Amino acid sequence: MSDKDIRIGVYICHCGENIAGAVNINEVAEFAKNLPDVAVVRDYLFMCSDPGQEIIKEDIRKGLVNRVVVAACTPRTHEPIFRRACEDAGLNKYYFEMANIRDQCSWAHWHEKEKATEKAKQLIAAAVAKARLLEPLEDRYVELNKNVMVVGGGIAGIFAALDLANAGFKVYMVEKNPSIGGNMAKLDKTFPTNDCSACILTPLMVEVANHPNVELITYAEVESVDGSVGNFKVKVRKKQTYVDWEKCTGCGACINACPPKARVPDEFNEGLSLRGAIYIQFPQAVPKKAVIDPDACIRCSGRWFGEEPRRTKDGKPILAPCEKACPTGACSRDEPRDPNGELIELNVGSIIVATGYKVMDKKQFKEFSDSPNVITALQMERLITATGPTEGKLIVPSDIPKYLEWKKKVEKGKEAELEARKPKVITFVSCVGSRDNRYHTYCSRVCCMYMLKQAMLLKEKYPELDIYMFFIDVRTPGKDFDEYYMRCRNLGIKIFKGKVGGVQKLPDERLLVKGYDADLGKPVELISDIVVLATAIEPNTDLKDLARKLGINVGAEGFLRERHTKLYPVDTMTEGIFIAGCAQGPKDIPDSVAQAKAAASSAASLLAPGKMKVEPLISEVNPEKCTGCGICVELCPYGAIEMVEYNGKRKSKINETLCKGCGVCAAACPSKAITLHGFTYEQVVAQIRTIAKKGVIEEV
Amino acid sequence: MEVMEGVPPVINLTEVARTEKEEFEKKVSELIIEFGAENLLACMQCGACASICPLARVGFEWYNKKLIKAILIGMKEELLDDSTPWACVACNRCTEICPRQVSPFEVMFAMRRLMVEELAISTLAIEGDRSLYEHGHAVYMTGREARKKVGLPEKPPTTDSDEKALQELRTILKNTKLAELGLIPME
Ligand SMILES: Cc1cc2nc3c(=O)[nH]c(=O)nc-3n(C[C@H](O)[C@H](O)[C@H](O)COP(=O)(O)OP(=O)(O)OC[C@H]3O[C@@H](n4cnc5c(N)ncnc54)[C@H](O)[C@@H]3O)c2cc1C
Ligand code: SF4
Ligand code: SF4
Ligand code: SF4
Ligand code: SF4
Repeated sequence: MSDKDIRIGVYICHCGENIAGAVNINEVAEFAKNLPDVAVVRDYLFMCSDPGQEIIKEDIRKGLVNRVVVAACTPRTHEPIFRRACEDAGLNKYYFEMANIRDQCSWAHWHEKEKATEKAKQLIAAAVAKARLLEPLEDRYVELNKNVMVVGGGIAGIFAALDLANAGFKVYMVEKNPSIGGNMAKLDKTFPTNDCSACILTPLMVEVANHPNVELITYAEVESVDGSVGNFKVKVRKKQTYVDWEKCTGCGACINACPPKARVPDEFNEGLSLRGAIYIQFPQAVPKKAVIDPDACIRCSGRWFGEEPRRTKDGKPILAPCEKACPTGACSRDEPRDPNGELIELNVGSIIVATGYKVMDKKQFKEFSDSPNVITALQMERLITATGPTEGKLIVPSDIPKYLEWKKKVEKGKEAELEARKPKVITFVSCVGSRDNRYHTYCSRVCCMYMLKQAMLLKEKYPELDIYMFFIDVRTPGKDFDEYYMRCRNLGIKIFKGKVGGVQKLPDERLLVKGYDADLGKPVELISDIVVLATAIEPNTDLKDLARKLGINVGAEGFLRERHTKLYPVDTMTEGIFIAGCAQGPKDIPDSVAQAKAAASSAASLLAPGKMKVEPLISEVNPEKCTGCGICVELCPYGAIEMVEYNGKRKSKINETLCKGCGVCAAACPSKAITLHGFTYEQVVAQIRTIAKKGVIEEV
Repeated sequence: MEVMEGVPPVINLTEVARTEKEEFEKKVSELIIEFGAENLLACMQCGACASICPLARVGFEWYNKKLIKAILIGMKEELLDDSTPWACVACNRCTEICPRQVSPFEVMFAMRRLMVEELAISTLAIEGDRSLYEHGHAVYMTGREARKKVGLPEKPPTTDSDEKALQELRTILKNTKLAELGLIPME
């Protein structure tokens, strides 16, 4: 088809009254008929409807037109529809151009009908000017790698991995901690059904670990991510465990051997107890393997890995207690170990980020005192659960050391009386750090419910307990949630609208709570044995860093940002990377699982065809014109440009799969060496000139 | 109107709970439930009942919603001397509107029963009690002259005009806590 043979069809849409209400369609149509190369002008009530599209197709099939301009609404939603219509009728779909005479014209100038009509003419003329210069383009296909990396092994990560693995995809699960399970593993029972957290989680942890399509990489973190959808190249750093996991059976012999001096706060028990330098994250850990925390280890035997042992007088090597205790030699210090661990390279087509959350520390809230009996709700979970520091025995946290002493004695077979104080009064405080401009403006969404849960579990088990709960308001918007709340009220738990403003430590380790009762309109005071703070759900400290490595966004609150809140809730701005669970924002287990399954199915439907169509609207460097200045390399927001050797010179080159067609490079290139296909220099200039000349198309 | 008489500026919940546990034989909420307000605990303090209660509108302090809250946290002494429950006109608008089907009216009446049980009767109740004792009606109509004018008997054909029934009623009343209080008989 030669350039001389251009027959443009202009199709003007009324959009019901949306356009026709402000733009004089007949006048515009008459105007369009006189534009150069325009062969046909038609208008219709709804151009995007079936009969509307048929009008265009018919003209193409009859050979009346070979370029199509639709003057209608926004290309954002409608361009793909009209492009497909062109393609269906046998025309290259890039011989299509759209003029937005609704959002940018009739809607904007609804009360200035003459001006709106004039503007519509100019916009259409500009589109025609561009249409005369359009070039046919071909869609490209990229091959997709069918492996998926799931980052984070909490309940969300586990479900995403299982769904994909069951669908036949190979999954690498990268987890920061020695074990998968995440925060749910720390919970006692779970609302709204009160089933035991471990009972529903542990089997899933085992299932994912044993799945033939899943490879667990725990105690590991993502170091770098290159490439793009379908072909991500990921480097994962597996941290040094200092324990040979091939040999470790998870028997736990080493753990008890580790001396008291090497004990540090146990993260799994939220600091309510201590763990040794060598530890297994928790009894139901998957994989159940020990690791040595090199910062906590006091180098008992006086030597580190790979160093010569000191010897007794008779020449026997002096081993560290853990080494000595281990029946399999898994923590032997004979061999040196690289403190940097091991770098693993993965090739994956898609990535799901499910790295969860952390809760705010109570330390930041001076108004609630530094008493050990003021605890976070996550600590309360540990305190009431059978696998917690007191094995579920309810005592005041300040007496946990007494409990641990007592237990040690009993384990050694001694008779001993436990003298720990049992709480009689427990107070719950809502929205600590949430809905608070000084910390987080958002609502953490799960605390109202977990506070009610903890209160309910406590009251059911210890009916004589006095429980006071202070809420700004009680938020229970989930399925069966308000019914759950009513159960609490019916148990006689005392609920107050009003927040606690201060907690004072009394000399006997009890607490004076100062609150407010909005119902009676008065300040209230009480003495409590334990105060539970519903501290806010926060993004993990390293989430921003991870997002940067992945090239995805975080929102103002620091959680991962979805592409579109309503329509693309688990997608990100980077194609092929999906998000699920609390990494995206605070949510409960049902919602985390739902998102995980959505992310898994999004990844699966992306990768299942094995290849992916990409629009050809991307930039290309003409190496003959490129002077190798490299300005574009720095500017490209997607890292798509690199400098390469071309005929012995440094020239820039654009990676087709990474380029998103934003055009930054083409606009900046001082040598006009970069062409953005679909928006070439000539095309864009022709549009601008036409507008500048008030709708007159200049011959060039 | 005296605001929340007997309730200090800061409510000491520990003291309220201690008193309830150590000085009362039963929890206040249990008593109120026993006295007929079966759904008491379901109240979520939404305030719908208060929004339409005539008592709340004319400024009585312990109207339905507030009374319920005080009961739920275990207050009693502070409430016994209050006259609000006796002012309840039993219109039952609250019963109709309450989304939790608490029936605040029942709470009001349960509170009356508790007050009588505890021998704490507001002066507001005495007029009604006297009328009940004398005529068989707590709220007695005054239009005797009007009845006569239109040719009706002076007393309506109720307990008021039935000496036997009135005596029976008085016997009942003499066997209530009202007699213990010295309020009955009222001769
Ligand atoms: C006190 C409390 C009680 C709760 N009770 C309930 C309840 O009863 N019912 C309910 O439905 N919900 C409850 N929740 C909410 C529940 O904990 C969450 O909905 C759920 O745990 C979210 O799962 P997740 O997989 O998104 O995140 P997480 O459980 O946080 O898991 C994330 C995983 O990712 C790992 N990770 C983090 N960063 C990285 C990284 N950079 N690289 C690799 N791995 C990483 C973490 O180690 C972790 O294993 C409660 C929350 C709290 C605080
Ligand atoms: S869920 Fe409840 S406690 Fe948590 S921030 Fe929201 S309103 Fe506050
Ligand atoms: S068009 Fe945008 S995304 Fe493509 S190479 Fe140029 S700057 Fe990068
Ligand atoms: S309307 Fe019902 S639920 Fe609401 S405050 Fe009154 S009694 Fe309570
Ligand atoms: S029945 Fe009593 S408490 Fe209820 S609205 Fe009427 S006056 Fe108020």
